[in-house]
This record gives sequence, C-alpha cells and structure tokens, in this order.
Amino acid sequence: MLLELNNIFKWVNQGGKRIFLLSDLNFNVEEGEFISIMGPSGSGKSTLLNVIGMLDGFQEGEYNFLNQPVHAMKDKERSKLYKEYIGFVFQAYHLIDELTVYENIETPLLYKNIKSSERKALVADMLDRFNIVGKKDLFPSQLSGGQQQLVGISRALITKPKLILADEPTGNLNSKQSEEIMQLFKELNQEGVTIIQATHSESNAAYGSRILHLLDGRRNPH
Amino acid sequence: MIRNYFKIAWRNFKKNKVYSFINIFGLALGLAVTMIIGLWIVDEFNYNSHFKNSDQIAQVMQNNTINGTIETNEGLPLALEFQLRENFDDVFELVVMSSRSDERYLSVGDKVFATNGRFMQIDGPELLELEMIEGSRKGLKDSNAILLSETTAKKLFGNLSAIGKSVVSNNEYPMMVTGVYKDISTNNSFSDLHFIMPFKHWMSTQWGWLENQDSNWTYNPFFIYVKLSKNADLAALNARIKNVKKDNRSGGDSFNSELFVFPMVKWYLHSNFENGQQVGGRIENIWLFGIIGWFVLILASINFMNLSTARSEKRALEVGIRKSIGSTRIQLIYQFLSESFLVVLFAFVIAIGLVIVSLPAFNSIAGKDVVFPWSNVLFWMISVIFIGVTALISGSYPALYLSSFKPIKVLKGTFRLGTFAAVPRKILVVAQFTVSIALIIGTLIVKNQIAYSKDRPVGIESAHLIQIPSSSKNFSGKYELIRNEFMASGAVTEMGWGTSPTTSVWNYASGYDWEGKPADFQENFALMAVSFDYINTVGMKIIEGRSFSRDFATDSNAVVLNKAAVEYMGIQNPIIGKYIRHSHPGPQQVPMQIVGVVEDVINESAYDPVSPQMYQFGRGTGGFYYLKLNSENSTSKNLIRIEKVFKDNFPNLPFRYDFVDEEYAQTFVAEERIASLAGVFTVLAIVISCLGLFGLAAFVAEQRTKEIGVRKVLGASVSNLWILLSKDFILLVAIALLIATPVAYYFMSEWIEKFSYRTEISAGLFFIAGLGVLLLTVITVSFQAIKAAMANPVKSLRTE
Repeated sequence: MLLELNNIFKWVNQGGKRIFLLSDLNFNVEEGEFISIMGPSGSGKSTLLNVIGMLDGFQEGEYNFLNQPVHAMKDKERSKLYKEYIGFVFQAYHLIDELTVYENIETPLLYKNIKSSERKALVADMLDRFNIVGKKDLFPSQLSGGQQQLVGISRALITKPKLILADEPTGNLNSKQSEEIMQLFKELNQEGVTIIQATHSESNAAYGSRILHLLDGRRNPH
Repeated sequence: MIRNYFKIAWRNFKKNKVYSFINIFGLALGLAVTMIIGLWIVDEFNYNSHFKNSDQIAQVMQNNTINGTIETNEGLPLALEFQLRENFDDVFELVVMSSRSDERYLSVGDKVFATNGRFMQIDGPELLELEMIEGSRKGLKDSNAILLSETTAKKLFGNLSAIGKSVVSNNEYPMMVTGVYKDISTNNSFSDLHFIMPFKHWMSTQWGWLENQDSNWTYNPFFIYVKLSKNADLAALNARIKNVKKDNRSGGDSFNSELFVFPMVKWYLHSNFENGQQVGGRIENIWLFGIIGWFVLILASINFMNLSTARSEKRALEVGIRKSIGSTRIQLIYQFLSESFLVVLFAFVIAIGLVIVSLPAFNSIAGKDVVFPWSNVLFWMISVIFIGVTALISGSYPALYLSSFKPIKVLKGTFRLGTFAAVPRKILVVAQFTVSIALIIGTLIVKNQIAYSKDRPVGIESAHLIQIPSSSKNFSGKYELIRNEFMASGAVTEMGWGTSPTTSVWNYASGYDWEGKPADFQENFALMAVSFDYINTVGMKIIEGRSFSRDFATDSNAVVLNKAAVEYMGIQNPIIGKYIRHSHPGPQQVPMQIVGVVEDVINESAYDPVSPQMYQFGRGTGGFYYLKLNSENSTSKNLIRIEKVFKDNFPNLPFRYDFVDEEYAQTFVAEERIASLAGVFTVLAIVISCLGLFGLAAFVAEQRTKEIGVRKVLGASVSNLWILLSKDFILLVAIALLIATPVAYYFMSEWIEKFSYRTEISAGLFFIAGLGVLLLTVITVSFQAIKAAMANPVKSLRTE
C-alpha cells in the first residue's frame, strides 16, 4: 500500500460557520495505480491532492504514507518525505520564469544536493526522453503551453518520485497537446510510477485505472 | 547552488530594469556618501598623525580670569622656561620655546618671496621629528642659522645643495643655511613650517628690550612646546604645573593664571575652550557628519528593504514553486540573502566609481586632499565587513519574510498581501522622510545663520580697499613718503595704516584708568594703532567727535574708541575730551585724550559681539597699508600703478596685496564648507528617499491595476485616480513632517545657541521645508499615479 487516508476531515471557519472541504474521506492507493479524481468545481479535488502531497494539512483523520503516519509528523519530516517520493505537476505549469528549461529541470536536484556531474547526466536523460534537448536554453515564455507542461513533468520526474500528483495538468492546453500529455502519463504509469490526477475531463479520466468521484468534499458513490 | 542563486538574481535585475536601477543606484549613492564621509572623518582623525610621537608632544597653555570669565591662551612668559626646565625635567624630555607661525621675506640675490616659519630653540627639529635631507637636527645652534624646508630650499637654490649658503631674512639679516628638511606633510599643525630660525635671533631682533629679563612674567608672547616622557601621567602633570606661574610671579597674579599641558592629539579636533574648559571643536563636525553618514546609509538600506518586500508579491509564486519542488526555508533564505549580497556588491562597485569621480569636487568643497585608499588593507577589510553587514541587514527582512510564504496559498493564485503587510513598509517610509526633512530643516537653519552673519554690518566700506603687509623693517619710517607717492599716482584716493587687519584683533591691553572706572574692574581692550587717515580710508563711521587729524599736533596722544568701548567703560557724557590714563605710567605713556567715537567694526568674528576697542595713534611701522582704489580707473590699471610705486620704493620686496572684502569673506570659509557639505548630503538623502518613494509608487500602481481599471469603467476620472493613488504617500510624508519638525527644532535651537549673534529660527523655514518636501512627494508619486490612471482600462482588466 502506497498511502491510505482514513476518516479525513478538513474545514475552514467562515463567518462563524464551519465549512467542510473534506468530510470523512477514506481512500487507499496501491503502488502502480493511475487514479483520476473527478468532480465539479469546489468539490475538493485540489484540496485532496494538496493533502496527499502534504502541502496542506487537515484537522481530523489519519494519513499513512508508506506505512508512516503523516498526521503525526513534524513539518520537517513531512517535507523530507514528500521531497523524496512525490512530484507535482500544475495546471499553470509553474515554471520559474527566470530559469531556462535546463535550469528548471535541474532545480529539484540542487535542493537534494546532488553532484554537478550527476545532475548533468540526469537532466540530459530527461531532455532526451521528452525530445526537448533543442529547447534546453530557452526560457518558459518562449515555449508553447504543451512544451511548458512537458518541462513541468520532466521537473516532477527528475527526482524519480514514486507518486506524481497532477492538478488539472491539461487544463490550459488544447485537445491535441492534452492528448499527448495524457499518453505520456499512461506510459509513465506503465513504467511503475503511481499517478493521481485531478480532472474535469471524462476522456482524460479514462486514461486512469480507477476514478474517484468527489462532491462537496465527500466521495460520491453514484 | 550559489551560482544558481546569482544567476536568478542577475536575471531578475535585467527583467526589472527600473526597479533594479532604483535599488542598486540608491544603495550605491548611500554607500558613496557614507564612504566619502568615512574618508573625511579618517582624514580628520589623522591630522597630526604625521608625528610618530604625537602622543608625547604637547603645548603648555594658560587660563587667565578676566572680569570673571576665563580665557585660554597659548602665549606664555619668558620666565616660565627656567621653571619648566629646572623642575619638570622628569616629565619633559624636551622643552622648546617658539614663536607663533610668522611670515618672513627670504631672499638670495634677486630671488625673494615671503613664507611662513617659526623661530625655535635648538630642540625644535628633534621635537618635530624633522627628516633632514641635508645637515642635522642640531642646526639651530648658531644664532644666524636657518633651516629650510625642501620646498623653500628648491625655490631659493634650485637643485643645488643649500648647506652653508646665505639667505637674507626680511632684507636685513644674513642667515646661513645649516640644514634642509623634508616638507612636513599637509595634514598637521606645522604644515606651514617652511623655515626655522633660532629663537635667540627672534628675541634679539623683536624683543631686544626683554632679552636680558629672563625673569619677566608680564609679557606673554611666547609659545612653549614640550615632549613628554613616555607614559607621563597627564592629570598628575596638570595638577603639578597648574600654579607655577602664580606661585613664582613676584607681586602676585591679578588674572589668577593657571597653566596646563594640552596634548597634540587634541589640538586639532578639540580646540575650543570656553571659560577655561575644553568644549569640543572640529569633533562636533565629525559627529554631525558621522550621523549624517549613518542616516544616509540607513535611508538607502530602508529603500532596499522596502522595494524588496514590495516586490515580494511578484516573487511569491517563485517561492511557492520552489517549496513544492523541494526547497527548504533555509535554502530560500540563502537565496534571498545571496541576492541582496549581489545587489550590495554591485552597489559597492558603483559606489567606488562614484567616490572616485566625486572626490575632486568633494576635496574642493571640504578643503581637503583626500585620496582613494586603494592600498589601505584596513579600508578593504572594513568594506568587506560593511558589504556583509549591509547585505545582511537590508536582505534579512525580505529573506525571512519571503521564505515564510505557504506554497499552497501562493500557488493557488489567491495570494494577496493584506493591508497589514504594508504597515512596516509605511513605517519605514515615515522614518526615511523624518530623517530627510530633519536634515533639510537643519541645513536651512545653518545656511540661514551663516547668511545672517554675513549680512551683519561690518562697519567699514571694504569695496575697492586693498591691504599691503608692511610689517618688515624695510617699511619703517617710510609711511608718509610712500603715502604721498601712492596718492600722487592717481590710483589711490585715500591711504591709511594700521597694526592689524581691519576685522581682527592682534593685541589686547589692560592697565588703564579713567574717570568713573568701577573699582576692581579688570579692563581688557582690543588695541590697534592707526595712522591719521586710517579711519577715513577704511570708511569707518564717526558717531561723535572726529578722527585723528594732521591739524592737531596733540593727536599723537589721542585715542578713538568704538561704541562698545564707551558702553564697556561706562563713561558719562561728554565723552569727547576725557582722558584715559595708564595705571602704571612709564616715561612715554602719557594720558590719552578721547577725540572721537566710531561705530563698531566687527573685530572678533561675525558670530560674536564686538569687543571694546581703542584706536591709538601710530606712525606707520608694522601692520598693513590700506589703500582705497580710485574707482574711476579699472582695478587692474590701479594695481599696475600701485605696483610700480611699490617697486620703486622697495625693489627688494615682492609686491603683495589682498582685497579687504575677500579677506573678510575668508572668515566664513570654515562654516560655509560645513554648510555646503551638509547641503550636498541633504540633497543626496532626499534623492535617495525619493528614489525609494518612486519605486514604491510604481509598485502600488501596478498592484492596483485591476482596481484602477474597475474604477475607470465605473466612471472615475484621471484626477480622481491620481488623488486616490497619491494621497496615501502624501499622508505618510505629512506624518514624517509632524515628527521631524519638533526634533529638528530642538536640535537646531541647541546648535544656534552657541552663536552670540544669531538669527531667529523662523517658522517660515519649517514651512518652506515642509512645502518643498510635500511638493517633491507629489511630483515623485504623481508620475506613476498618472501613468496608471491614464492606462486603458480594457487592457488593465484583461491582464488579470
């Protein structure tokens, strides 16, 4: 088991009232799965991804990641854990504008204090794999949306994570680019990477092996 | 990693050119100002550091109580020498009697020029650690010996050896060169020492009648320099030396003279005495500029912090991304610190450039010879520490602040700095403008005080008036003759003579009696001897009676008083015709009849009250000739004619003259220097503050683009928006104004207290300063505000 969420509650207080973002959520993920989270806007897709990615906390419930209790961890241990095992892919790509393609992909390695020669090799592999060697010295603003998302995925993969969390990864792309990205995810999944994506699109969701429906922070069993 | 940080910092500079320029240039300006002030302060502290034993060199001085106030004097009596040599040989390694710095004509053949030097006893060169090029430090043994500075020797003998050659002093005394010493570097109390002649020579030529009175305690024209033994206890020494004059002077001492030893290390920076106590001096300027330097640096650092945090919204997303891909907070702190380090380093390099470019101008304003200390290890060490500390201080706030952002918030795109986030920024702006406004007000008041003193009626008509020094013996007995020739030349409408410059006192005298003199009154008069025509020539105003006149044979015993003297003495009307007698009359000291009263002429300084002054009659020996030029001719034509007459009469003397008004203007130079420097630094402080404000205004305008767009669509006019965007800043500056005004008032009223002749601190000044700064703020902010307000709302809304 890669991770399991047991009875997760997350809420915010607004105007003296408790608004539930996640409510009594139970959810298990095995290694090698490709899961799509679906639901209307505000249903809690992004919140759930952030909780799984340990970028956000929750008030009640248990979260075990590789049999380690995330809910009982300190910030430092938690960030160590997600740095090690999780990669993020964003709808708006979130590349660093001031860095080139090469440097963007390299950055997570810098934070892991990996040696320069090794970094070079790893980044070169990644560029090669996604056919963006020719673009390595360009800045994000010089790329198309699809290309930027490729860089975003490369950056997420460079540290060899077990789990990729993708929040609407194709939300800003046209259908052709969209399809390419999804195809890529499918290949990655076949290589053993676990993927959880949040999406609005039925066709994108179809790439996954399992779909989780959310509504108002709860599982929607229909 | 660090390379990566620098790379991203560099790309950020390039991307935001205006912002980077403001940030770097503002800081560079602040650093440059601080560096220049630092160099100036070091230079001031290094005054007299030329002397290796400066901690052992000292001067003996005395405090005299005159009418209840203590006056501090350098001059000492001849009899003191014996006492110091006999009873203090355990603490004084050397005792050197000396004249004050005095001017002499030195000539070799046809070559003649006037230069300054001193008359010193044989140990003088040892005390001053002279580096001999020729001869030895013991060269003053013979009473006709002369030591020359290298410059003087070059002027007289070119590159030939000077030893053994003859130099004539004042066209009168043949001296023999026994040594040549290296010029003493400029930054010290003896920098104008271009010759040294034996003290004995001075005694026999100037004080002949005193020469055989080794026990004379009455006349105090001599300077005494000493070299203290190592580790001498100054406090103990001062306690011991205090009463030496009082105790040894026969017949008691009516001025309660107390001696003290004043060490060289204090001569320059701590030279002011008030009522016998040392009360500061140039050290006050060091404090003043030191504080300004720090302020300017802090202003520039505030800018950096302010703009960096303001930009943080732009950088927030980057922080979020970096955190989500694995950066720790520490790594982000390093990133932002190294960025600020890079900016400071950059600014430092620019600052060095600015310093190098502006040093010549600074030197001319400050009257200094400061050079850039390229090879000074200490300077570079301080610079490195300085860069580190400045980078740390100015970078820490943004570093700590930016790195604390929660990634989830900024990544969602909902991140907005609340109103609270702007509070520290607002406080910093207020602090910045408080300092700037206080500096402006301070500078205005200083300039006002100087202008006020300059406008003070001097009491003479100094236009077209020149003075020619006539102190050498060559002039004696020639006054009437040369006066006739000058007058006949047509270049001069009136000529007179006096013993001192028109607006200085060179002599004080006491020992007078007059009708109605209060008992126990210790009088002290400024004294000047003048010729018949002096009062007319310099254009003094006669209030009562008359000037000296050739028509009255008795006028050689007449005296003219200034108004201050009449009040001081308490003479009742009628004043004219009364007598002033000597308390202890000698054979030549007959009673003097008051023939006239003149309007006060400034005689101490433009900042002080006029001292009571006596103008006695003199025959034209020593002092200065005063010539009123004929205004019908051009000045240059007049001067050519005057020079011809001069050269006909004194073929061996160089023709030298000064304009009296220019000489008087010289007395303001020191204060004007301080005021100009303060002015320059104040302007720079304002520029730095405005740069910061400009940057912030740009940021706020950008931040509120959407709001401006919406308001515009809803019908707001450009002027509505302009006011909306400007009013916050104006409010901040107004708050700064409210804080700065009382602070500046407090400090400046303390400062102005030290001048007896002083202007009021007027409300108008504060008003002008306030209005000026507010106007500047409006202009600075409006540029951005109007630009934002004019933008097409469709565009600004689309960017969201």
